[in-house]
Amino acid sequence: MSSPKNMNARERARLAAEQAAARRRDRRILIAVIAGFVLLVVAAGIGFQAWRTGRSPSAAPSSPASASPVTISDGRPLVLGASQASVTIALYEDFHCPHCAEFEEQFGPVITQAQQSGTARVELYPLAFIDEGSAAAANAMACAAEAGFGQNYYFGLFANHTLQWNDEQLIELAAKVGGSPTDAFKSCVTSKAHADWLASINAAAEKSGVTQTPTMLINGKEVDIAILTPESLQAMIRDAAQK
Amino acid sequence: MSSSITTERQLAAAASWVSTGARIVLGGVFLVAAGLKVIDPQSAVAAVRAYRLLPTSLATLVGWGLPFVEIALGLLLLAGIATRMVAAASAVLLLIFIAAVVSAAARGLSIDCGCFGGGGEVAPGQTAYGVEIVRDIGLLLLALWLVWQPCSRFALERFGSARRGASA
Repeated sequence: MSSPKNMNARERARLAAEQAAARRRDRRILIAVIAGFVLLVVAAGIGFQAWRTGRSPSAAPSSPASASPVTISDGRPLVLGASQASVTIALYEDFHCPHCAEFEEQFGPVITQAQQSGTARVELYPLAFIDEGSAAAANAMACAAEAGFGQNYYFGLFANHTLQWNDEQLIELAAKVGGSPTDAFKSCVTSKAHADWLASINAAAEKSGVTQTPTMLINGKEVDIAILTPESLQAMIRDAAQK
Repeated sequence: MSSSITTERQLAAAASWVSTGARIVLGGVFLVAAGLKVIDPQSAVAAVRAYRLLPTSLATLVGWGLPFVEIALGLLLLAGIATRMVAAASAVLLLIFIAAVVSAAARGLSIDCGCFGGGGEVAPGQTAYGVEIVRDIGLLLLALWLVWQPCSRFALERFGSARRGASA
């Protein structure tokens, strides 16, 4: 950019004006390109997430335990595991709560093991305070428990917790976790058959002072999840079983 | 005369290194924060909803789209393209974040800001609004620095060629 020394003032001024105009034009083009880039990335991103949350659920690791149908009664949780187990693990979870999915990933195996060995049973309070997907999933969970594949459906819901949970996905999940999507199950899902039960469960949780998910009680005593490790949970279940 | 020019150049060089650092930190934080949110779109939407500021459908769009705004800005910052403009946009975004967290605190909500994934309701004693706001203010200062001093090293854009040419 070395300007020739032998230019006269007028030429220099004209050149400078041209350069300034070119810079302004370049700047406008740059702004348009940058704005276009950002919009493109965001639009593609929204499309991507719409696809991800709307796609079909994937299969989840299934458990052979608890294939017996569960009776749904107002204000009472879904019982998963042997009813005569000495330890009761009450779980208050929302199928769309991020910390619940983390909790399930971290502590699910320990709890499942205790259920399968007959030591513990889970009393599940599916709460629905995040969105419609939470409520739809909680209702479908009750439908699945009633139909006898509640445990595997529970695994499937958390394994696919990034889905939005529309009726189609919830029905599809049944087959993916080894359950049978009978007409009764389908209509149970689409008609939100257990909406009243769900309301009663949420009311029961509120009444017993549960304000957040996940909340876990072992034999009625609340567990501090913040400091919990899989090992300490295992020890707690063992201790509770010995009492 | 010549010594003052030297000092000026040294200062400009130092500023360009500070700007380089600011670009990397701000862009890196945006990319990390976005990455943690992108992997879990449902949580991102839940985190936006927890602020109770937007209607449901809009919260979904923001939950899905906002991380990609961060990705776009982060990539532009790291590449060093249109740094002043991108830094100004980043500053606006950070101001919105700060305002949202302040409003959540002021309304007595107990939520996690969801800045780095997660988010949603937390127990009343577990909020970290102070830390979240201080962190965002720190990032805001970096963005404002870049608006002031956008010239940096390892950037795709070229700076001050006209000025350098004139002084040479």
